Amino acid sequence: MKILKKEVGRFPLGVWIAIVALLALFLGWGMQVYSLLNWDSAVDLGLQNERFTGDAAERAWAKESWSVAVADMLWALPIGIVALTGILRRRFYGFAAGLMELSIGVYFPLVFAFQRWETYTETVIQAIILWTIPSLLGIVGLWVNREYFEE
Amino acid sequence: MLEPTMITWILIIFGLALIFLPILIVQLMMVLRPHSQKTWDFIIGKGEDWRDKTHFRTSYGADWADLVIWLPLLAAGSVGVIQGQVWGYALWAASGAISVYISIILWFSEREYVYPKGGPLAYYTYFWGFFVYWGVAVVVYSVLRLTGVML
Repeated sequence: MKILKKEVGRFPLGVWIAIVALLALFLGWGMQVYSLLNWDSAVDLGLQNERFTGDAAERAWAKESWSVAVADMLWALPIGIVALTGILRRRFYGFAAGLMELSIGVYFPLVFAFQRWETYTETVIQAIILWTIPSLLGIVGLWVNREYFEE
Repeated sequence: MLEPTMITWILIIFGLALIFLPILIVQLMMVLRPHSQKTWDFIIGKGEDWRDKTHFRTSYGADWADLVIWLPLLAAGSVGVIQGQVWGYALWAASGAISVYISIILWFSEREYVYPKGGPLAYYTYFWGFFVYWGVAVVVYSVLRLTGVML
């Protein structure tokens, strides 16, 4: 764990890992914004899986995915902005918001994984590599460096 | 040390009695006996076939993620808070953030099905409301305590 406290430029390594994990989540929120603005195009690009024009089951899945995108905009994105701002300014609220944001980053890909493993295995693996693992490492990185943040 | 106050104890008891225990029982039912009639009647609800299929997968994903991430964070956070530890509040804030996040998703994805069955009292308390009230309260309270406000 000592290596996570090692200063690399402006921040300790563990804090850099958290920043990278947050940026990866922002990439996800960007995908969600695009999806909300143009759902069909997002499905064409592979950002979403189901359309609102399919059968009843597909429409129900699309509604669920749309709800996740809305929750990301209303809750996860604002927390992420507070987290990134606070971490870059070395404030304790950034540490707290960072833990909250990265916990969501671990939580939701797991929900998705247990839901869709059989139908979208490749997407599940991508989500875990892109968000769950970096978020988990980011939580560890932040926690090891908790004394780095000023109250 | 962040000594527990009256508000802390109210949030601990509320969280363990009205969030942790009921969700633990329900999620264990879903994970251990996902196809039993009792589980389906209780969690999935009786309805159209397509809804049973989609709602089953939705619940199944959330159930596993709750058991792996959310409930351990809630329980460990409560222990830490009782001990007056900073990490307890950090874990609490993370579990509160997840509680609000999943509640927003459920509001948009299944309120139209759940609300008519339970009515306003059930919906705005144990079906959905408690998770939002507790989540928001814990996030706000934890951040305030972590930044030095005594409540």
